[in-house]
Amino acid sequence: MFCYQCEQTTRSENGDGCGSEGVGICGKDATTSDLQDLLVYAIKGIAQYAKRARELGKTDNQADSFILYGLFTTLTNVNFSTPKFVTLIQQAAEHRDRVKSLYEEAAKAQGITADSLQGPASWKPAATQSALEIQAQSAVINKDLETVGEDIVGLRAMMLYGLKGVAAYAYHAYVLGGEDQEIYAGIEKNLDFLADEPTDASALLAGNLEVGSINLKVMEVLDGANTGSFGAQEPAQARVSPIKGKAILVSGHDMKDLHDLLEQTKDMGINIYTHGEMLPAHAYPKLRAYSHLTGNYGSAWQNQHAEFAAFPGPILMTSNCLIEPTPAYRNRIFTAGPVGWPGVRHIESHDFTPVIQVAKAMPGYEEDAEEKSITVGFGRHAVLGVADKVIEAVKGGDIRHFFLVGGCDGAAPGRNYYTELAEQTPDDCVILTLGCGKYRFHEQDFGDIGGIPRLLDIGQCNDAYSAIQIASALADAFDCEVNELPLSMMISWFEQKAVAVLLALLSLGIKGIHLGPTLPAFLTPTVIDILVKEFDIKPNGIAADDLAAALKKAA
Amino acid sequence: MSHKITISTRDNHQFEFYCNDKQNVQDAAEAANLYPPFGCKSGVCGACLGTCKTGNYQLDSYSDEVLSADAAKNGDVLLCCAIPESDLQITLPYDAECIQQTLSAPRDAEIISIEKIAERTFKVVLQLQDDPEVGLAFDFEPGQFVELEIPNLDLMRAYSLSNTPNWEGRLEFLIRLQPNGKFSNFLQQTAIGQHILVHAPSGGFVINKQSANPRCFIAGGTGLSPFLSILSRMAEWAENHPTHLFLGVNNEAEILCQQELTMLQQSLPHLTVEICVWKPEDNWKGFIGTPVDAFKAHLEKNGSATDVYLCGPSILVEVSTQAALEAGVNKEHIYSERFVSS
Repeated sequence: MFCYQCEQTTRSENGDGCGSEGVGICGKDATTSDLQDLLVYAIKGIAQYAKRARELGKTDNQADSFILYGLFTTLTNVNFSTPKFVTLIQQAAEHRDRVKSLYEEAAKAQGITADSLQGPASWKPAATQSALEIQAQSAVINKDLETVGEDIVGLRAMMLYGLKGVAAYAYHAYVLGGEDQEIYAGIEKNLDFLADEPTDASALLAGNLEVGSINLKVMEVLDGANTGSFGAQEPAQARVSPIKGKAILVSGHDMKDLHDLLEQTKDMGINIYTHGEMLPAHAYPKLRAYSHLTGNYGSAWQNQHAEFAAFPGPILMTSNCLIEPTPAYRNRIFTAGPVGWPGVRHIESHDFTPVIQVAKAMPGYEEDAEEKSITVGFGRHAVLGVADKVIEAVKGGDIRHFFLVGGCDGAAPGRNYYTELAEQTPDDCVILTLGCGKYRFHEQDFGDIGGIPRLLDIGQCNDAYSAIQIASALADAFDCEVNELPLSMMISWFEQKAVAVLLALLSLGIKGIHLGPTLPAFLTPTVIDILVKEFDIKPNGIAADDLAAALKKAA
Repeated sequence: MSHKITISTRDNHQFEFYCNDKQNVQDAAEAANLYPPFGCKSGVCGACLGTCKTGNYQLDSYSDEVLSADAAKNGDVLLCCAIPESDLQITLPYDAECIQQTLSAPRDAEIISIEKIAERTFKVVLQLQDDPEVGLAFDFEPGQFVELEIPNLDLMRAYSLSNTPNWEGRLEFLIRLQPNGKFSNFLQQTAIGQHILVHAPSGGFVINKQSANPRCFIAGGTGLSPFLSILSRMAEWAENHPTHLFLGVNNEAEILCQQELTMLQQSLPHLTVEICVWKPEDNWKGFIGTPVDAFKAHLEKNGSATDVYLCGPSILVEVSTQAALEAGVNKEHIYSERFVSS
């Protein structure tokens, strides 16, 4: 096992990365980690043929969507089930063989000699789990560290992790009917590139930025799928205190699962609460229309042990971030979509009857708590709807600066940086936030500037697209580049979706991003130097100092 | 003198506690609020079996039916009999979820059904009474057992659950009557509506959830009980492991739960069921012999990359284990639970 794909990976003088202990910090055991690597390898094999078939005008939608789903299962805190990966690996080989035939038949029909492909394209999966585990040793991300060096391994890793994030967002769109051939083509092209085990740093850097460009498209498609399905986000109040009655908690990111559960629990007297990154659900008109979408419970993912144990009903986990369920709620947590934990019931069919049965059997909340709400829903539609007012406030000097403080939350102590940053932001500055990082400060009252709330919650991490649209619109209004706006981006990362968002921002040429709480372990000093030179990426310092520096630079 | 005991579970969780040299490891664990599966606590039932990897210890008296001389020589220990002489590192053949950190109080339950389903074999259904804290819920892992207590008779017996965890408080058991057995007598004389106590679930005979290997289940008679629970869970959760059940009985009259098994096969397309009758009548069309014979033939045909689960009389467990080892099945993939006389 070797894994350094997330922020909490083991850091030591002997080298960063989880593996030597036989289990990752996330709880992923060595076998699961190895099989995830092998699944990624197998998926590269699909991509090798899918890219070439596509060039000949042939596509295979089943294989395309499998690539998304398969990569999504390998993200941090998504799926920990060894048997699941054994199945997925065998399925990947079946998809690859089908796409291979598609490609070779298309080539033959067009009188072209089909490429003879090696590596993942020609690999045969072993029949047993133990034999797959042996095969997996040649699929680990740092397998040729000694020959190609840590910079190349790190650049490949960043690109792969970015692609994992892209696939996850694309899968969220896919389940809502949002697809785009350009996305599949981009993912397959870049997986094919990685299948060749590239060693050219410049080409890898370019590949990373291309992955960022693909993610821009993915976030656009996902934005369209969300708004198309549930309406554009609107400012709305989300209750954050419980009310009496039976209850179900929905965590993760998947709005389709939430919608289906709301539909299946209609008129049952069961209250549905969101958790973590599901909070923005309260801003979508067609979700808010369900009167039993009662409120938001708890905070970010890393607090789920205490929060899930205390919740008086079942929990549905629709995507990342899942951590090992404790005995206190293990029998009443359910997974859906790409998520899984051995011994936790998985619901594949969107039929949430088992969840509802548990909700009916459990006591629920016995009384109303004092009403307390927060405001959500400042996506691009809402903010750009008052663009004139915002522009006027900037021009008039009422708004001095914008801080985008967002991204993932996590358990690392250094993440207090973001709380301090938000709290110390001067009164004439607006804080845009997104992702679960907002839980560090979003219940505080930041007041307003001429009626414009100083804290604007844009939504989930993927609503970075909204943030980019807002920034682009402001840049247009001020006739300048985004980099010239009075805007600082203070991004907290944890896992691979955040890598995809970071690459998207870099692909737009956005400079001066503060990235923390620590820099990714896969970024070597050489690569960091490049990112600093090219993009002025800044590691976190002291919140007050970083804040002062950002304001001074803008002045 | 106090020694550090480290126990490691199948899913790589570790627990540490201290044990003095006059205490057994099970008692020391419980003093540290850790309850590894246990039963008799007197070296007879084998529920607390583990393997000592490092350290020295003495074993108090125990039944060689559950711990053979060879196994003891290779480091297998019963936690309830192991007295440490140094720090110990012990591995346990089940996941951390089987180690409880609190021991919940016995629950009151009503007998709502006693149905004869085969020769000398009854299906007993209990309905738990509402609990102020957890309602009707009763959490256990398929494959685990509970101790049933009849307070007035000072009688307690352990039985595996044959249904799956549920939120309605329904508990099902397959119970074979023993000649002159106290619990057997109680069952034959009791009436529907009688109340008994159900102790907290225990036992490490649960599925290795992180293994994708095919599964072989070998059951002797009511040793089918935990497998019914496991298979029902697999059906509910749509698990697709290839699974082969070998059920052994002495004669056709002892065949049990055929209808349930047929229904499970409809939900589990990768489940095969071989009913093995040792001494059938002339018109028996199925397998003749022991489940071990059928299991051996299966291994010969399908190879040894499989997880093996055994439940039944000691002799069945011993012979099946030997057959599995000889066929090349990894020792760490053989899990067993044996009937013990009480």
